[in-house]
Amino acid sequence: MTTTLVPGAVTGVVDADGTPISFEDSRDPGDGRTPIVLVHGTGGSPATHFGYIYPLLATRGRVIAITLADPVGRGAHDLQISDFVDQVAGVMTHALNGERAALVGYSLGAVVTAVVAAKHPDLIHSLTLVCGWAQTDTQQVLRNEVWRGLRVSGADLIKEFSVYSAFGGPFLAARTRDEIQPVIDGVVITPFTDAQMELNRRIDIRDELSRIHAPTVIVGCTYDQMVPVRHQKYLFGAIDNARYTEISSGHAVVFERPAELLRVIEQFTTAPGRYPAGAVIPELKP
Amino acid sequence: MTKATTTPEKTRTLIIGTGFAGLGLSTRMKRGGDNDFLLIDRADDVGGTWRDNTYPGVACDVPSHLYSFSFRLKPNWSRVFAPGGEIWGYLQETARDEGLLPHIRFGAALTSAAWDDASQAWHITTTKGDFICNVLVTAMGHLADAKYPDIPGLTDFSGQLMHSAEWNHDVDFSGKRVAVIGSGASAIQITPGVAETASELVVLQRSAPYVIPRPDRAYTDAEQRAFERSPELMEELRADLFWGMEYNYAQRRAIPSAIAQAYALANGHRTSQVADPVLNAKLTPDYEIGCKRILISNAYYPSLQKENVTLEAAGLERVEGNLVVSTAGNSFEVDVIICATGFEAVEPPFAPLITARGRSLAEHWSDGMMAFSSVTLAGFPNLFIMNGPNTGLGHNSVIFVVESQVEFIIQVLAYMRTQDISVVETRRDAEESYVARVRHRSQGTVWLAGGCTNWYVDPRTNQLTVTWPDYAYAFRESNGTFDVAAFEVA
Ligand SMILES: Cc1cc2nc3c(=O)[nH]c(=O)nc-3n(C[C@H](O)[C@H](O)[C@H](O)COP(=O)(O)OP(=O)(O)OC[C@H]3O[C@@H](n4cnc5c(N)ncnc54)[C@H](O)[C@@H]3O)c2cc1C
Repeated sequence: MTTTLVPGAVTGVVDADGTPISFEDSRDPGDGRTPIVLVHGTGGSPATHFGYIYPLLATRGRVIAITLADPVGRGAHDLQISDFVDQVAGVMTHALNGERAALVGYSLGAVVTAVVAAKHPDLIHSLTLVCGWAQTDTQQVLRNEVWRGLRVSGADLIKEFSVYSAFGGPFLAARTRDEIQPVIDGVVITPFTDAQMELNRRIDIRDELSRIHAPTVIVGCTYDQMVPVRHQKYLFGAIDNARYTEISSGHAVVFERPAELLRVIEQFTTAPGRYPAGAVIPELKP
Repeated sequence: MTKATTTPEKTRTLIIGTGFAGLGLSTRMKRGGDNDFLLIDRADDVGGTWRDNTYPGVACDVPSHLYSFSFRLKPNWSRVFAPGGEIWGYLQETARDEGLLPHIRFGAALTSAAWDDASQAWHITTTKGDFICNVLVTAMGHLADAKYPDIPGLTDFSGQLMHSAEWNHDVDFSGKRVAVIGSGASAIQITPGVAETASELVVLQRSAPYVIPRPDRAYTDAEQRAFERSPELMEELRADLFWGMEYNYAQRRAIPSAIAQAYALANGHRTSQVADPVLNAKLTPDYEIGCKRILISNAYYPSLQKENVTLEAAGLERVEGNLVVSTAGNSFEVDVIICATGFEAVEPPFAPLITARGRSLAEHWSDGMMAFSSVTLAGFPNLFIMNGPNTGLGHNSVIFVVESQVEFIIQVLAYMRTQDISVVETRRDAEESYVARVRHRSQGTVWLAGGCTNWYVDPRTNQLTVTWPDYAYAFRESNGTFDVAAFEVA
């Protein structure tokens, strides 16, 4: 029996074109808020990317956390963004019974959820895109190539490289090398990660963005070296009903500033219209 | 005693208390061009907590770059956790630099405050003159009145008795036998210092605290000058510290993975500092972590292991002459008793002194402290309570709460001025639904479910009335903005 991240949550499985997609559903009706659906990023899972925010969000209302899966019977080079779009839409259709959800995507999950919002507007109440992007650029391709080179060579250094790229400079600088070691040791890379990294090289969802009409908040991270804020500023321009906000962290915002990310998600999903389209939402100054 | 028969001093806004809350509010008022206010304090200097708590070793346990005003950043904090005297100096400097001193009446302890509907004013009496004001703000603190334990024989103790917040600096501990009563935040700051000088020291611990490492260090000259020359560095550090502390709310919410992390940190610290299994067992708490304040110290456990120090894992039962007798039946002959037994927190001592329409705050609070937005009350027009009901934080800086309340009050005052309003009164339904929301949010927190006795919970009702049950950011979200819809105005 698998233990759930939220005590008392249920797990479910949905078939997406022959691939079983599992999800965890907190099911707590809470304060009667719009249910939230979480979609993780490359190499992640609800436990690794939403280990902090999912249980906290679930103390207030219903949250569904989806685990993306490697489509059965596909080679690495055939993975398409539409595979993940179908997986997310499949879970939402199955679990939500027609109720619209606040869809939240992180990193590659943001790319996926943007397309879900474009293709399945009827499933969406609001859209939160954290560290997302529309089209892979040369800086990202180069990083991807270094990563792949390390992967092919079997070098253990790929773990250091992953942490070095994912975390923001200020976060790393504020800690000792020893304090970071457990994070490095925790890096896990699977063949499915390889497939997602390969997909990351080919992202181009620019044509989908004009079809997103749900209230959207774009979250950029100031020190993100993997998906720098220029990408989120592009999304801010491309999505009509979008607001923009920034968090002072690296790409690994779910580890560096999870409480601040939680605030952004909570604030936006409870009242998506609080700031008008085009607004830049200021970061809280404590 | 004959009372001075001077005519009452009139002011638009009267603020009682000159700690972080009173000084923070008045600074913002004055900077905004509002000069029609007075502050009173029963003491003869500003500083509140940091004026009163002068025991050796007193310091904040929230880093100073966060435990300070966001609108008065200080580049030259000496350490991550500044000593209490430095924080007091910061508040004295604030009062001076912001031009507040001419507004302050010292030595004036509140004796009564009564609202008069006819004159739309609060009538205030103090030990030093009377006042009439339109708006009354209490900033009298939540940890301002020393609480001595109610113990037989304590007041007849033949030696020297003191409270941590009323330190007697004339007492020299060298060669003395000393008892520290309590093992909370103050006790663990006091014990290491006293252990150095006293000939014998016994610490009476009724309930063992969780203690975690204190990541303290001095700031270098280069760092201090960098802060001065690039002030944005202070803002960035402040935000980092704030969100780092916010993270720990997950423990108070009893999220299993967060609780596990907290146990690992506290148990690891204790195990690495206390090798003796018997002492370790005595120092192992018997309740869920976070239910009482988690303390930070690197020096406390080592000090308990000195030759001259005894940890008595029992409370104080009685005092006989110069004998301190524990509830476990052990007695210790001592020359000095230090009560590190905390403060009156559940029912503020000023509650019976404040009345409106024949009803006192104490009566309003007979079922526990409560207020709309943790700041105003139905039936008490033009009254604002700072650091009152549901404002305490177990995991972050109180100054963030204070500044949220300052913002709220500033907005009300501006509204009253611009709309020509002289009375704002909280609607009863607004207060009730706010309180219901807070009570609901408190369910499932470790303070209520953690199996300990703590001073955040009102023993009369078992409701969490002292502590804010959510993230600090949620306090500002909920209570940092004035919305007239919750008020009747006239
Ligand atoms: C030892 C100690 C350490 C602490 N460390 C931290 C920390 O690290 N982080 C943190 O967030 N919080 C800490 N606190 C909590 C601290 O109390 C608050 O952070 C903050 O200082 C409260 O400010 P205040 O202005 O509300 O009250 P206070 O500082 O208590 O000021 C209240 C003022 O009101 C005056 N007053 C009271 N009653 C009357 C009356 N009847 N008439 C006239 N005047 C009156 C008092 O003389 C006093 O000057 C600590 C508290 C203590 C005791």
